[in-house]
Amino acid sequence: MGELTLGHFLTLSALLFVIGMLGVLTRKNILIIFMSIELMLNAVNVSLIAFGRYLDSIAGQIFAIFVITIAAAEAAIGLGLILVLTRRQDSVDVTSVSLLKE
Amino acid sequence: MDNPVAVALTLEDFKILIPHAIVLAVALLTLGYGAIAAPSPGRNAALTVISVFGYLGAIVAALLLTGQPRTAFSGMGALDDMAVFLIVVIAASALLTVFISAQTIPAWDMPLGEYYSLLAFSTLGGMLVASAVDLVMIFVGIELSSLSVFVLAAFAKRRRESIEGALKYFLLSSFATAILIYGMAWTYGVTGATNLNDISLRLATYQDRTAPTLLLAALLLIVGLGFKAAAVPFHMWTPDAYQGAPTPVTAFMSVAPKVTAFAAILRVLVQGLGPLREQWVPLVIVLSVLTMALGNLVAIAQRDVKRMLAYSSIAHTGYMLVGLAAFRQIGGGDESIPSVLFYNFAYAFMNIGAFGVLAWLQLHGKGTTIDDFNGLAVTAWPQAAAMAFFLFSLTGVPPLLGFYAKYFIILAAIEAGYTWLAVVVVLLSAVSAYYYLRVVAAMYFGDPAGAPTPARTRFFGVGLGAMVLSVALFGILSGPVLDLARQWYLAL
Repeated sequence: MGELTLGHFLTLSALLFVIGMLGVLTRKNILIIFMSIELMLNAVNVSLIAFGRYLDSIAGQIFAIFVITIAAAEAAIGLGLILVLTRRQDSVDVTSVSLLKE
Repeated sequence: MDNPVAVALTLEDFKILIPHAIVLAVALLTLGYGAIAAPSPGRNAALTVISVFGYLGAIVAALLLTGQPRTAFSGMGALDDMAVFLIVVIAASALLTVFISAQTIPAWDMPLGEYYSLLAFSTLGGMLVASAVDLVMIFVGIELSSLSVFVLAAFAKRRRESIEGALKYFLLSSFATAILIYGMAWTYGVTGATNLNDISLRLATYQDRTAPTLLLAALLLIVGLGFKAAAVPFHMWTPDAYQGAPTPVTAFMSVAPKVTAFAAILRVLVQGLGPLREQWVPLVIVLSVLTMALGNLVAIAQRDVKRMLAYSSIAHTGYMLVGLAAFRQIGGGDESIPSVLFYNFAYAFMNIGAFGVLAWLQLHGKGTTIDDFNGLAVTAWPQAAAMAFFLFSLTGVPPLLGFYAKYFIILAAIEAGYTWLAVVVVLLSAVSAYYYLRVVAAMYFGDPAGAPTPARTRFFGVGLGAMVLSVALFGILSGPVLDLARQWYLAL
């Protein structure tokens, strides 16, 4: 068994980030898009903490805590918006959100 | 203290946060008072007074604290001249928004206390970015600024377009945030620092500046910040969010978050990634051309003035990016960054002004299409004249503020050797004259039947008057304002 190195963590982070990105770009359900964005944010946290560990500096971890905090605030506002919208139309499909066009 | 890395925090450090503290006080006071007092014209007037004096106080405090570049909080924040300049622009745009909101928001049955509070929080976020010298602080500031604006965009929650526009804005902006912090994570990983001055120092020592990891970091940062500034091809949220939001909110979100984004761009790309200039400038040039072209060309096709102004604000992002593309090095003789700062300043007055007249029109029961402007000059000449003034300024007619803004950008581009880019700016400005002046034509030559007769909107008038005066006055005083913007360079 080889040792876990910085490269492993960065690869994991990059994979998670790309999965999240694909989710945002391809899915139609607002809640799934939202989850995918959260996945991207947490992928970044993996990178930040791995870099922090590798560089032996505390800044990476502190940055990650800020990201988690902001993600929580973002979730509160995002879910609030989704709630107001579903009250009006009983669906969380983005394709139904098409009132405004070019 | 024994520990050498212990953080030394003194009372002096908090001095740089005085303007921010005033705006925070506005946010908390308006929220608290708006919740306690029963809705009444008196309460609304009190809330407006708190906001107006708060922003004025913040502007005065920032100006009084100018002088030496003061860094504090172990280098996390600084109230250097650029910070003061941007804080003044952001606080002024909030102040002008208050003027055009005070009567419209209560008239449309929206809670004024929460509205002012969110406005102040968003302003605070922008001010934090302006005075941040650290990636973490910039990230937190940008988010505070955008999260408040999401809620403001959805403020007309009875109208479906408002919520949908806000949701679109929210989803794409959060997506951009993820990309932005991934870029910040890589920047931190490669350079080992989150402080922008440290990043710049370390990058300057690198022999190989085209390492894939560095390029990836720069690319992610530009994409993330491009989204926030509404640069093409990352502009998809702009027209819908702008059109859906209540008009005074649109006025604010077309200026403050954009200035905030440019504050972040200047800090991150210029102050932090300055040594990588040769790598990021080509990308900024591509973005600027795309943004100017698409913004101007699509604006032509719009019948709705609000949507037309949304595309025009995209076009103005493009002009600002031209200034950024002309960046060569930090220091005297480089006019690029002062021109970008000046453009942000000019853009705030003329754009909020144009949206202000639109809000005034809506307050008088009209819609936002060009036809709604028909004959406005006959029934309400001051408002029509003000609108014409703002639109001329947005086009870039001398000697108004907008002309000087474009002039400095073009000058910077030519000095940097991008004459063709300057030509593109001039050509597309000529195109923009078509859609701006169409509104002027409707106001002055349209059929006045059905044009609104002005009701008593004195406070609104004061705001519009102040903006007209600023557009004219700062056009004449463009030299001193540009000098102020230039100072940052010599101070850094």
